[in-house]
Amino acid sequence: MLDSLAASTADFNPTKSVNGRMLKRLIEAGLTWLHSNQQIVNTLNVFPVPDGDTGTNMVLTMQAAFDEIKHSNETNFGKMAHTVAHGALMGARGNSGVILSQLWRGFARALDNLPVLEAQDFARALAEARDTAYKGVVRPVEGTILTVAKDIAAEAEHIFHTTDDFLQILESVVEAADRSVQNTPALLPVLKEAGVVDAGGKGLYFILEGMLRYLKGQALDIVVGTIQPLSEMVLQNTLETIEPGQDFEVVVDFRPTAAIDLPAFYGMLEQMGTSIQVGEGEGIYRVHIHVPTLNLYAPIDYTRSIGTVTRVAIENLIDQIDGRKSSCVESAPVLTPVEPGQIAVVVVSPGTGISRVFASLGASAIVDGGQTMNPSTQMIAKAFEDLPTDKIIILPNNKNINLAANAAREVSVKEVAVVPSNSVPQGLAAMMRLIPDGNFDNVVSEMKQALEEVQSGEITCATRKVEMNGIQVEEGQIIAILNGKLVYSCPGVEEALLNLLSIAKADQYELITLFYGADILPVEATNIADKVQSHFQSQVIEVQEGCQPHYQFIVSIE
Amino acid sequence: MKISLVTDSTCDLPDNLAERYGIQVVPNLIIIQGKEYQDGKGLSRHEFYQRLPEWDTPPTTATASSGTYQELYEKLLQQGASRIISIHASSLLSGIYNAARTAAQAFHDHVLVIDSGQVSLGLGFQVLEAAEAIGLGVDFERVIELLEKIRERIRVIAMLDTLEYVRRSGRVSRMSAHLGNLLRMKLFLEIKAGQVLRTGEERTRRKGIERLKQQLIQLGPLRRLAILHTNAAEEAHQILEDIDPRLPSSPLVVNVTTVIGAHVGPKGLGFAAMIA
Repeated sequence: MLDSLAASTADFNPTKSVNGRMLKRLIEAGLTWLHSNQQIVNTLNVFPVPDGDTGTNMVLTMQAAFDEIKHSNETNFGKMAHTVAHGALMGARGNSGVILSQLWRGFARALDNLPVLEAQDFARALAEARDTAYKGVVRPVEGTILTVAKDIAAEAEHIFHTTDDFLQILESVVEAADRSVQNTPALLPVLKEAGVVDAGGKGLYFILEGMLRYLKGQALDIVVGTIQPLSEMVLQNTLETIEPGQDFEVVVDFRPTAAIDLPAFYGMLEQMGTSIQVGEGEGIYRVHIHVPTLNLYAPIDYTRSIGTVTRVAIENLIDQIDGRKSSCVESAPVLTPVEPGQIAVVVVSPGTGISRVFASLGASAIVDGGQTMNPSTQMIAKAFEDLPTDKIIILPNNKNINLAANAAREVSVKEVAVVPSNSVPQGLAAMMRLIPDGNFDNVVSEMKQALEEVQSGEITCATRKVEMNGIQVEEGQIIAILNGKLVYSCPGVEEALLNLLSIAKADQYELITLFYGADILPVEATNIADKVQSHFQSQVIEVQEGCQPHYQFIVSIE
Repeated sequence: MKISLVTDSTCDLPDNLAERYGIQVVPNLIIIQGKEYQDGKGLSRHEFYQRLPEWDTPPTTATASSGTYQELYEKLLQQGASRIISIHASSLLSGIYNAARTAAQAFHDHVLVIDSGQVSLGLGFQVLEAAEAIGLGVDFERVIELLEKIRERIRVIAMLDTLEYVRRSGRVSRMSAHLGNLLRMKLFLEIKAGQVLRTGEERTRRKGIERLKQQLIQLGPLRRLAILHTNAAEEAHQILEDIDPRLPSSPLVVNVTTVIGAHVGPKGLGFAAMIA
């Protein structure tokens, strides 16, 4: 974008002042640098609405400002600044863009017809920019671009007493902007929660940094490796395909001792391995990389050389792809926090996969248990008492656990309702009706109604010889159970499942969900699901890892 | 005294209605694969939702600039409007309100920018009510009062066919910690007091549509109704047919603005209703 990267000395006196033509170059530099870093700003965006377009909006606004002056040969600084402000206002997009345009408006207003900008003018203009931006917002919020504007104005005010070198002043202002941006999570809880800094503030930082880089003759259009907010890093491996040289997955968290030079940082990592992802939140960087065995410790050694390593995780990918099922022994699912007065759901779950699904739907506590491993009344009651709310619904998810659930309700001092789900599919159907802030009785009655809206199937192995409902079962045979009743028996899992589904008339339903058990490998489950799909072509088939013991499959038909 | 009405394209008012009442609808912008479109222009809504799943970078939306609003206000005032009421999508969900408000500063009391707290026809119905009142000669202050009152009678509910688009838009992530769901489901959202609230989910489309109908019926007699969809016109008309006797006259069926639909994804269904 820039014709020349070196500042022209004709327009710029490095120690004292800046004229209109120089401002034009600085605007272009700020725009270019912001554009190079647009994606970084977009991914930070969580406030007020996390729609990932702050960077885009700010670039469009700056672009409009620059378009307005592109062909101008104005040398008067004040006049040029007014034209910039006009362009920014006309092109302002989104909240961050509008605030940015207000900053330019205030900046220009302070300078009017000033021919050249000097140090004390710069401080005055930044102060006016700050005031105008604050006035332009209905409810100013700290921890945003406004705070950054305030902090840089304060820095400029402070520094111009000690130097009149514009480069030095801009350098201090950029540093102040950086500090201010890093501090935004301390001021705005939603940023802290998301583990990011404010996007608009960061955008303003890039504009200023771009100007500084231009003055220093540094490149502006390099593509910097992206850094994601920590909260957005998804580090699940796709285990189907591991290429040569991806023996281990290494994840390192570290706190850098100095600012990270991203291109150099990425360059080093690229020499070590592949699948590189870098995240950042509250000063902690997270590196994710796949490395060959030879380089196993290289990412750790390297990050130790540039900061303090706080956490390391290594996983053997080769071992995982050999079919080990790591996710069934994984740590506890992420439960939904509940506040006093809200309705909490306690779920009895037979497997970690199923627990994860319930947790994803808003369960606040999980009690392990199911067939042949019924939890005690005390275990259930303890789950009630541990929750910070008094309104609790329990889903037993098994006929044999209903009693214990009822007993726990009786010993509890809290308001507890048992929604008597006899199976996991029933429990899930009920879960869909949870409204944490809803009326307790209404939610309970909605949940009870939902129990009837789904058919539950189970595939398991007969533990003894039996004849039931006219079906002869030998010990060790596979049996199919539909809504609690034995409906089919045969030697193979796949055959039992297909027959279960046709007895349930699954072809008249919309969705079949298969939760495969701890004894079934993911690849087996996928193969069986493919078979089911070929028999039930108009139905949606969904496969979930259930991790339950004893049952090869738990099936929901709805 | 002539009062002019300005809104933006998230209002989803059909062109003929906007024209009949002289309502100025400022198009929002949508950026698809790096190319900027005005909402509904150059690419039909139908085509947009059809092609949405194919685009590898999700479309992003942008408000019209403050400058656009400023120029429009200026033009309307020159053409003889003495007051302008500019009603827009919820300020908690979009920057449109702020862009308009910034533009309005130059005109002091002549332009009043109102945050509708709504989107789609939740906004559109407010604009229509204002237009009808102005047509009847109701004065400026009364129109503003009226707008404040009817806001409570408006309900907007949507059922998303997939979570993919709303998840990457992030527009519900904060109020719903567990949206990283594992299961396939139809999410129900309500726009209330300017915010998107999660009000439940269903696992199948059939049950979801039943629920929408129940929710509509439970509202009682309606003054206005629009069935909203993102390329699910057939089912939208079916819903109207199924609840027929309870309908207000001439309900609308609207393929919603791409600015909202980009976050909803194809095959979404919902409604905007104004209780009688």
